[in-house]
Amino acid sequence: MSDSPSQNPFIATDRGASLRRVAMAWSLRLMTGFIVLVTLAILLHIGWKGAPVLFKTQAPFVNTAFLSKLPSTLHVISDRDGRVIETDNRGAEVLKKQLGPNLREEKTISYSGGGILGPIVGTALLVLVSVSVALLLGVASAIYLSEYARPGKTVELIRLAILNLAGVPSVVFGLFGLGAFVLTAPVLTNSPLERSLLIIPLGFAKLSFQGWDTCVLSGGFTLAFVILPVIITASEQCLAAVPQGFRETSMALGATRWQAIRSAVLPFAMPGILTSSILGIARAAGETAPIMFTAALAFKDKLPWQRDLPALAADASWWAHWEQSVQRLLGLFTESVQALPYHIYTLAARIPNNEYAQRAQYGSVLVFLLLVASLSLCSMLLRRRLRRKYKW
Amino acid sequence: MLTRRVRGSWRGSALTQRLIRSGFAGSASVTIIVLALIMLFLLREGAGFLGTYRRELETYRRCGLEFCDLVDRPLAQQEDLAGSLRRALSSSLEPLIGQARARRDEALRLKREVDQLTQTQREVFEQAQALPAAQAAAALPEATKALSAALKAASAAVVIAPILSAKQATDLRLQLSTQIPGKEQPLALINQLQQEFLRVDKEAKARFEGLQEAIETLEEAPEDLRETLSELKELALAAKEQATLHHTLEEGRQKLLNAAQNARDPKEKAALLKEAEASHSEPPDESALQAQIAELREPLVLHIGAYSAKVDQLALHLPEAEIQLPEAMELLQKTAQALPRHAAAMRASVPELRQWKADAPVHLRSVLGAFFFGTQWLTNSSWQDFFGFLPLLSGSLIIALIAIAMATPLSVAAAIYCNQFASPREREWIKPVIEFIQAIPSVVLGFIGISLLGDLLKDLSQLPMLSWIPGFPIAERLNMFNAGCLLALMAIPTMFSLAEDALNNVPQAYIDASEALGATQLQTIFRVIVPAALSGMGAAVLLGLGRVIGETMVVLLVAGNRIAIPDFSDSVGVVFQPAHTLTGIIAQELGEVSRGSAHWQALFMVGIVLFAISLAVNAMARAMVRRFELPKS
Repeated sequence: MSDSPSQNPFIATDRGASLRRVAMAWSLRLMTGFIVLVTLAILLHIGWKGAPVLFKTQAPFVNTAFLSKLPSTLHVISDRDGRVIETDNRGAEVLKKQLGPNLREEKTISYSGGGILGPIVGTALLVLVSVSVALLLGVASAIYLSEYARPGKTVELIRLAILNLAGVPSVVFGLFGLGAFVLTAPVLTNSPLERSLLIIPLGFAKLSFQGWDTCVLSGGFTLAFVILPVIITASEQCLAAVPQGFRETSMALGATRWQAIRSAVLPFAMPGILTSSILGIARAAGETAPIMFTAALAFKDKLPWQRDLPALAADASWWAHWEQSVQRLLGLFTESVQALPYHIYTLAARIPNNEYAQRAQYGSVLVFLLLVASLSLCSMLLRRRLRRKYKW
Repeated sequence: MLTRRVRGSWRGSALTQRLIRSGFAGSASVTIIVLALIMLFLLREGAGFLGTYRRELETYRRCGLEFCDLVDRPLAQQEDLAGSLRRALSSSLEPLIGQARARRDEALRLKREVDQLTQTQREVFEQAQALPAAQAAAALPEATKALSAALKAASAAVVIAPILSAKQATDLRLQLSTQIPGKEQPLALINQLQQEFLRVDKEAKARFEGLQEAIETLEEAPEDLRETLSELKELALAAKEQATLHHTLEEGRQKLLNAAQNARDPKEKAALLKEAEASHSEPPDESALQAQIAELREPLVLHIGAYSAKVDQLALHLPEAEIQLPEAMELLQKTAQALPRHAAAMRASVPELRQWKADAPVHLRSVLGAFFFGTQWLTNSSWQDFFGFLPLLSGSLIIALIAIAMATPLSVAAAIYCNQFASPREREWIKPVIEFIQAIPSVVLGFIGISLLGDLLKDLSQLPMLSWIPGFPIAERLNMFNAGCLLALMAIPTMFSLAEDALNNVPQAYIDASEALGATQLQTIFRVIVPAALSGMGAAVLLGLGRVIGETMVVLLVAGNRIAIPDFSDSVGVVFQPAHTLTGIIAQELGEVSRGSAHWQALFMVGIVLFAISLAVNAMARAMVRRFELPKS
């Protein structure tokens, strides 16, 4: 096979042909370039507008307040001397008292003040829950598909299900999560709700199918099923990449199939599985529709572990203290949270647009994009390195 | 190392091996279970929809709301027609009065601007005035001085549009600079301009007396009809309210009775039964309502006849001679054509009114029709909620078509380029960038549509050199085209990588054979490789379509969220209208409805349809790949 057709002695020379080739190549190159250019333009635009919010010109060069405060309502107060002061709820009260009649105007912009710690924490928790669930199920499924299953009806059905699951719209996952986890999933409780589907008395408590309400757990499980197909496919590829000889050798030495998998396959496939699942993390962090009805709140002025609990008496037993801390810790999973993508949606669609809102918008979008992009980039680079490292 | 581990570890029996195996098999079948569960939960929440909606439609009919709508629907057009006549009038008036109005508006704008510029000084001045007399004497002169200086500076600084003559501009500056509260000079120029405008306006209106009369006639024509209709509507609404109340009570009673049946304690059972008895309510008697409807039916028919005669009359006597402006002319002609159609539609409602029966049953078929082919999605209405599917479906489909039409050529071109033309180094950075698009969360793209693309498109559409494009200039910055562009970008990575796979899978033998026959590279690519990969590319397009229809955040943020079937009269320009979508409506409305209501169930029905669409698209893509599969080489 020769690269250039002119070297072929059997065809008539056609000068137009090379011209046509160049023209075609260039028009295709232009279209490809257009895609690349648009993508870069979008990223640059967000970087350009978001950088002043996130970064500072003085040390420490990062706007730490934006990353470490909870979102709040922004008050913009201008006085008669022409000064404009931005502050939060409490600051506004103090300032208004101080200024007295000198106050000229006060603007309030919801959600745009403070920082975005709440949404960041919420997204991290959701990702944590969803990735642990999805990895557990996904890797196990992949092991079955690549190590145990023989071609047949069952495997075909599972593959079909994986394909279809990957195509289900994310908002439908949201509906599913609402119906299944928020309203139906089983909980242990002593006083079941009226809407409970089924109550099974267990003696010490009742198992009531009344749902988990909107909380991290509901959202995390919903997201887990959104990313499950991604994880299964990636894990299966990694398992398939481990040479057949490894399994055969270990079984020839007398290992059972499970021992062979555990000691000769999984250790070599695991790095690949973990890097590929970073892609799942990025996807889980980016989805909005599945968490809209299952976990996310537009506004919350507390972190999930700062639950309101009755104050303990001074002489309360260590047990009561312990119980409260456990309850607080459980709040990590049983409280509803703010999430970055939902926060961006709220900022972009639910409040009137002005310069202050825009600042919050671009800042959150940049942080979100950096988070997701760095995850994807990590996954891409690691995968490339692994591919070079494990060549059998 | 391996041997040591094996020897040292616990050897499982065949049973444990089987257990381990079935554990893995179990988690693999979770995917199947989840798919089934999705279906189950969607059906559980949505299946009641048909029954609930049927009951609502039955109430709608029984209480006479449907009867009112038979007249009300065609009558709604009257306002549009009057509106287009009014537009014809104002566009004919515009050239005559525009100048005078612009001059007056400019003068008023300047006054506002000067006021704004001197606001701080004005406030200080007013404070000084409010002080007790002794302090005021000290503060006031200074404040006055400051204000007057500020006024002078401001009125000198404002930029006056050339629409005012030089003399007028100087006068205005002078008059504005002396506006100290309490000692105002009358703003003579502004008054004069206002008078001038009123005079011109009157003169101009006198020239279009015929048109004005026509507008008035059309506006007054349905007065009798409206009066009778609103009387009927009130009756119907009251009846509906009663029916709803009865239904709620009845439902509560059923619940109590059920609870009584399950109660073990006889005392509790008796109490529950008693409570149920107390909440018993008689079904509302609708015979009075029906008698009233029957009574009002003939007057209504008479009014309709009179009204449509008036409209017909008006259509013949539209004062076309007065109008010269082409666009006003066009509006008038369109109205002239629409008026007889409107009259005919009104007349057509008469036999329907006569045939209408309050107790005709609502068939399940017609409920299905009302959902799948309904043209109205109307919720939280004080009159009647409608859950029609078409407005949402049309929005989703148009947006998906725009996105696919843009993404297909781009991603196929990029795939061919990467696969056949690009140097390895080029490929090395094109592919990651395109794959990176996948990592951009959809809510970020939606945000780009709101903050960047919307304004960009709107500004672009106002360029005179692009005015030949249908639909330009666009009215709404958030529209279907905007959403389509962003969704195209979202679909590109999926379609690109699938299309590239398809190109890669073409057997080398085909290429070798083609080249051996003396084909040039272009011929090989476009007559051998691309046709051979066509089925894979088709599947890529289909999967891209599935992705685009199911996407939520972009359309929710960017599509404009207007729930109506787009107006196709502007051919391709329809893409610049706002619309709502299947996914967007769920995301927007589900948070605000109570569980189990018809609205809630309708949203789950939409979810069921979306789920079915995604399964169908997947099945089609698979079928396409399998049908045109190349023989393995």
